[in-house]
Amino acid sequence: MGARASCAQRVLGEADMAALAVAGGRRCCRWVPALMWERPCRLQHQQAAAESDLPIEMENPYEEPPKRCILCGINVDYKNVQLLSQFVSPYTGRIYGRHITGLCNKKQKEISKAIKRAHILGFMPVMFKNPSFLTDPKICNVKY
Amino acid sequence: DEQYELASPETAAVLKRTVEALMERGAIVRNLENLGERALPYKISKHNHRHRRGGYFLVDLEGPPSIVSTMMDHLGRDIDIIRRAFIKYPVSKTEECSGIVPVNCEDKLIPKKK
Repeated sequence: MGARASCAQRVLGEADMAALAVAGGRRCCRWVPALMWERPCRLQHQQAAAESDLPIEMENPYEEPPKRCILCGINVDYKNVQLLSQFVSPYTGRIYGRHITGLCNKKQKEISKAIKRAHILGFMPVMFKNPSFLTDPKICNVKY
Repeated sequence: DEQYELASPETAAVLKRTVEALMERGAIVRNLENLGERALPYKISKHNHRHRRGGYFLVDLEGPPSIVSTMMDHLGRDIDIIRRAFIKYPVSKTEECSGIVPVNCEDKLIPKKK
């Protein structure tokens, strides 16, 4: 058996020597260990020259625009009691959590701070929602 | 913001007193807004009196931070003022809002070594 391996990775190990010993006298060997199977192998210097089948690098053309919460771009003010009351329970006056309002981190914090400020400064009632704002459109995922 | 008792000439007098006190301490009064007069959201007890209605005023001013404590003291002694507060001038940054940024969970999972 002449030298078979063309790839640099192939090294003649003990198994190969054993195989050679077994197939010693015979010219045509049927049992070939998997290591000795000839597989198409492209060397590094050949790969670059081959036709570039690789994908062209570009930005994801199907990328969606970043998701925006309902308050994205709206300035939150402690004086705007009607807006703040939309994120408050009508029965207890408690501020709804993030999983209910669906706001992003920043806006939830801003609303929370504004509501507390409005409470202290006497703009918004604490234990209930102002009755004149009860018929406002529902923003939060609350089921009454 | 300050909340006052009813009756216009008294209200005007109180406002004048307040603005003068501010200017005396070296503050520059830029604007004075009347946010209306309405029923308070809850009854406030102040100076031995339970208030139900009040007028809301917003004073836009520029001044040294040392005024705050002295003015709060001064306004606290005024019977006609129900509630007083000093608030930082709000900076409107909403033009840069780029929407919800998707959180990279992998980075958060592995603790960063400082």
